[in-house]
Amino acid sequence: MNESTSEFYNVYEVFSKKTDKSPFQHSFSLLAPNADMALIMAKENFFRRETVADIWVVKRENIRGLNQDEREMLKRLDKQYRETKGYGYLKKKWRDYNQEQFTEQHILGGRGDNS
Amino acid sequence: MTVGMSFNQLSEEEKMTHFLDRINAGEKIEPDDWMPEDYRLQLIRLISMHGISEIMGALPEKEWVPKAPSLHRKLAIMAKVQDEMGHGQLLLRVAEDLMAPLGKNRHDIMEDLFSGKLKFHNVFHMDAPTWGDAGIIAWLVDGAAIISQSMMLDSSYGPYARALKRICAEEVFHAQHGESIILAMAEGTPEQREMLQDSLNRWWESLIMFFGPKSAKETGNSNADKNIMYKIRTKTNEDLRQEFFTKYIPRIWSLGLTIPDDTIRFDEDSQMWIYKDADWSKFKQIVSGNGPQSQNRLDLRRRSYKNNEWVRAALAAKKAI
Repeated sequence: MNESTSEFYNVYEVFSKKTDKSPFQHSFSLLAPNADMALIMAKENFFRRETVADIWVVKRENIRGLNQDEREMLKRLDKQYRETKGYGYLKKKWRDYNQEQFTEQHILGGRGDNS
Repeated sequence: MTVGMSFNQLSEEEKMTHFLDRINAGEKIEPDDWMPEDYRLQLIRLISMHGISEIMGALPEKEWVPKAPSLHRKLAIMAKVQDEMGHGQLLLRVAEDLMAPLGKNRHDIMEDLFSGKLKFHNVFHMDAPTWGDAGIIAWLVDGAAIISQSMMLDSSYGPYARALKRICAEEVFHAQHGESIILAMAEGTPEQREMLQDSLNRWWESLIMFFGPKSAKETGNSNADKNIMYKIRTKTNEDLRQEFFTKYIPRIWSLGLTIPDDTIRFDEDSQMWIYKDADWSKFKQIVSGNGPQSQNRLDLRRRSYKNNEWVRAALAAKKAI
């Protein structure tokens, strides 16, 4: 393979928003010689039918993702103290005092349904 | 995995156990995950063949773009050809990421196709001489492809499953495009009905072959069995073929068409279709590049790759950022 051909094959990751309200999502990856071509290819490859509000292309080598070792670590972290389910036992406690546990809505007060 | 131990510290054997536990638990394997070499090679074999088949598969249909019988039909078949090339792009991308650690890229895939090392689906080696063939390809060849692809939507390899999800969504249009063509012909003049029947006769054996032989006995390899173990696929070739029969034979008959196999029938006792098996030595000949259109289509692909070389070079001149 000559040099110009090898430069043709860069991997770009494609991200897209379906509507202006939706978050960016990973669409897929493609090969392109530069970002402009990557955008054209992304439109041709992934959005012939689907609606799309915006597209990002990012050269893969510029993305620092987790490696498997780091991903495996995520599975083992106990984060219950950060989540509602870590506080489920409070319901029974409050019952002992003849009180209902506040729901998320109650805690958020004025921003709930009663506002 | 042992608590407190990093994944990188596991022995090869422990990594293998961990890998099998993950796929058995329905987790998806990603390109940079540890995987057994055998799994990688099975995926490369399967996905590069699938990807290149999409690209070669656009060729028999492309022949019908200039000859389609109306503007509407021309637009529809052009869109389908474009979709098939798009599917090829998706799948080759998946194959390339798997090949990267072996030092290979798209250029090598194309070279392997040209040298005959990389095979493509038997159906795309065949002639498509009439508009009836365009209809049968979209209705039944794509119908067969949908059956085998939707089986792998839950494949253990994440990128393949995600590519197939995109592909299957578009295949639905293709199947409907095919139904639209064959129904127009089936409801048309006696000549049109005859043309449709001719196409069905021409394609039937290729459709039987599409799913591959019943067991390793016919071809002497067991890739399908391995792929089931690795949860890349879930059903055998024969399961898929039977599913195809159950789905399509009643429809073919309902249009008054005849299947060119007078032994075909549903056996109530075994709940299986009994049929005349394909000639598997002929199948081997076809996929080895000796089908009626194999060399013509490969030549077309070689020429376009060569003729477009300057385009790739020109585009590559603008540095990637």
